Amino acid sequence: MEPAEAEFLAEKELVTIVPNFSLDRIHLIGGDLGPFNPGLPVEVPVWLAINLKQRQKCRLIPPEWMDVEKLEEIRDQERKEDTFTPMPSPYYMELTKLLLNYASDNIPKADEIRTLVKDTWDTRIAKLRLSADSFVRQQEAHAKLDNLTLMEINTTGTFLTQALDHMYKLRTNLQPGESAQSQDF
Amino acid sequence: MAEAYFPVGPGLGAEENFLSLDDILMSQEKLPGRAETNLPRLAFALGQGAASGDSILEGSKLEIPLWLAKGLHDSKRRIISVEPPKIYKEAWRTVFSADANVVDLHKMGPYYYGFGSQLLNFDNPENPEIAQTILQTFISRFRRIMDSSQNAYNEDTSALVARLDELERALFQAGQKGLNDFQCWEKGQASQIMASSLVQNYGKRKFTDMDD
Repeated sequence: MEPAEAEFLAEKELVTIVPNFSLDRIHLIGGDLGPFNPGLPVEVPVWLAINLKQRQKCRLIPPEWMDVEKLEEIRDQERKEDTFTPMPSPYYMELTKLLLNYASDNIPKADEIRTLVKDTWDTRIAKLRLSADSFVRQQEAHAKLDNLTLMEINTTGTFLTQALDHMYKLRTNLQPGESAQSQDF
Repeated sequence: MAEAYFPVGPGLGAEENFLSLDDILMSQEKLPGRAETNLPRLAFALGQGAASGDSILEGSKLEIPLWLAKGLHDSKRRIISVEPPKIYKEAWRTVFSADANVVDLHKMGPYYYGFGSQLLNFDNPENPEIAQTILQTFISRFRRIMDSSQNAYNEDTSALVARLDELERALFQAGQKGLNDFQCWEKGQASQIMASSLVQNYGKRKFTDMDD
């Protein structure tokens, strides 16, 4: 899966906006989106929020985890633990990128938030690589990693599965299985 | 960033993939061996004599490519006997077990893993040790490949891949691709429409050039 596809899936998450137009409830295939009244906050999926923001029809309210103190806490906890901590949203990386690119004026201290999220991402990727290395080194049969997000899996997935494929084939060499059929002339 | 075509990968293991270019190149590597019987009039084929009448005497040493060795190898009709090249022998095996990261696997035959797996087809009392060494070498070098492929973005990687053999280079490229895709996406280039790399190589006149 590519990063763009993960971003597409992330756009389904709900975020709060404050519209400046009014519209009755709209009925879409995925569900209803509530009536829009100027000045009253309403929850919509991210794809709609970004679209309205680009047309200057709303103001985005950052999700409650996108806040400097909260992210510092998360980052410090990630650095302390050896395993992966649960992230506030399974799409934190995509949401950060989308919201900070399109709505940075609505989000206080946007640059610090970007840095903090990047730090957390780097820590998690380093942990992932460490656990992949110990997995290969000890030739385990399977491993379980909790609290990984889709984007992290995508970035290292192809490499890891190919390496494990090769390792598996080299391991089957060790078994002196039935010899290949050879033709007798 | 979908690929335009999917090349057939090497079949690492007891059997090669018939259609894989990597396997074809790999089976061209030579093994030392000796002829067990007289081979009349075949000296020119094995690179040993110029005249078409020369024959190879029993017991003379030959360098045989792998594909020929596999075809001629037969425990009942002993035509040739082969032995592993020196990189799979005892001396090099201890080097690999000491520290596999320092070895320049590209120079030692760029298909160390594939060729080693094929060697196990010939009966040889050292086969289990060879198989074990190949596996342990792969495991020790894995960490370095992972780190270097995931951290070198937009740099010249030729120094990093110089010492890797072909299998490791393919892995390195897979890791680089994951990294590049992510960075591209983060910069926002993932949603830009760009000409496919295959089409750019055609060298056709572009639309803007036609106005001249």
